[in-house]
Amino acid sequence: MTRRGSRSGLPPPLLVVAAAVMLAFAWWAVSLPPFSGLATAVVIGAGSAVALWGARAPALDRPTPQGGTTAPWAAVVLAGAAWEFAAYLQHPRDEHPTVSSLANALLDSQSARAAAFALWLLAMLRLSRR
Amino acid sequence: MTRWVTLFGYVVIAVSAVGLEVVARRSVSLATFGQAVTVALRRWPVRLVLQGGWLWLGWHLFVRVDWR
Repeated sequence: MTRRGSRSGLPPPLLVVAAAVMLAFAWWAVSLPPFSGLATAVVIGAGSAVALWGARAPALDRPTPQGGTTAPWAAVVLAGAAWEFAAYLQHPRDEHPTVSSLANALLDSQSARAAAFALWLLAMLRLSRR
Repeated sequence: MTRWVTLFGYVVIAVSAVGLEVVARRSVSLATFGQAVTVALRRWPVRLVLQGGWLWLGWHLFVRVDWR
């Protein structure tokens, strides 16, 4: 019988411990005073550390995508960025909400912010894996 | 009124993205979102730009906000 490993390469018990540590760290990180140097150092430091870790990890065995065009996705991303930028340039913010001002309302509780921060770190890991 | 126009724009873009993903999963000529990201991440300059943008977004959402 073969044991299946996780995609992270960690055995399941260690994966649970790593998830608990990351959530505890996220809970602490989002409780730091906003606009402070410490909060900036923690967020940028954690994001950079995860990116470096991901870049040094063994390359993922990703299947080669089958020749489908990616142009429509580029169009959707550009449309979203243009709409966001247009809203950002106009005031008042209540009348012209940006994605971040909408996200702020969703991330009002500390648990939601901690979960979002943990997801942000995981997404950074995915972006930095080769 | 302008608030609803702005929100409607975001909804249209989000629905377009979901619709594109649904169509891409049934098509061989269209990449899914995951495939498009995989293709983009193969180029290291793109990966670097996306990581920089992602760092900025995290700083913007988790530092440049007064929660209290």
